[in-house]
Amino acid sequence: MAKILIPTPLRHFVNGQDAVEIAGGTVGECLEKLTTDFGDLRKNLFNDEGKLRSFVNVYLNDEDIRYLDKTATAACDRDTISIVPSIAGGR
Amino acid sequence: MIQIERQAWEAMVAHARAAYPRECCGAMLGVEKDGTRRVSIARPMRNAFEGAQEDTYVLDPAEQLQVEKEARARGLSVLGIFHSHPDCDAYFSRRDLENSCPWYSFVVLSVKKGEFDHANSFLPNFEQTAAEKEQLEYSV
Repeated sequence: MAKILIPTPLRHFVNGQDAVEIAGGTVGECLEKLTTDFGDLRKNLFNDEGKLRSFVNVYLNDEDIRYLDKTATAACDRDTISIVPSIAGGR
Repeated sequence: MIQIERQAWEAMVAHARAAYPRECCGAMLGVEKDGTRRVSIARPMRNAFEGAQEDTYVLDPAEQLQVEKEARARGLSVLGIFHSHPDCDAYFSRRDLENSCPWYSFVVLSVKKGEFDHANSFLPNFEQTAAEKEQLEYSV
């Protein structure tokens, strides 16, 4: 089971939990399962086309999955998945 | 509503002044209760934009991950992000909006001629197409 850390603003979608244990072979499968189990969370992570929203970065342990195999990155027991929003801007 | 405690607010203003004429950025940590976000710690962060920083900021995702861990360790939450607008008003620009996230409060500090001028807070929507102004109290 991989552990997915839930950012505070999203915890009310997962019954107040700060982390959810999910069984899945890849990071993408874990996120799919998470948002199937907690349907109201889905809009926060995926767009209408089923792709991760542009502001959602995902880390496996301390590695950004964009530099691994993206959502196909293998997720094993005791791995930690973090959801970190991508933020930038300027006047 | 977002309330920023005095010590956190002073850290935000100091970071904005120190970065001037470049844009600064950082995270706000605290607790949310009954619809009010109360910030007790401001964590200045690195502007990771590699070009001219006078009109652009980018948060370093790896640093965000560390800040998120720090918040968890302290029993706090990342409630929002702040950044500065050097020599212009504290509005939420199109680029701010297009690179935002609906989970957080976004506090913008206007710094004019190197000194803090005013601030506003915004709550962007999921589609990154609009941001509602949020009531902001600082130095509480």
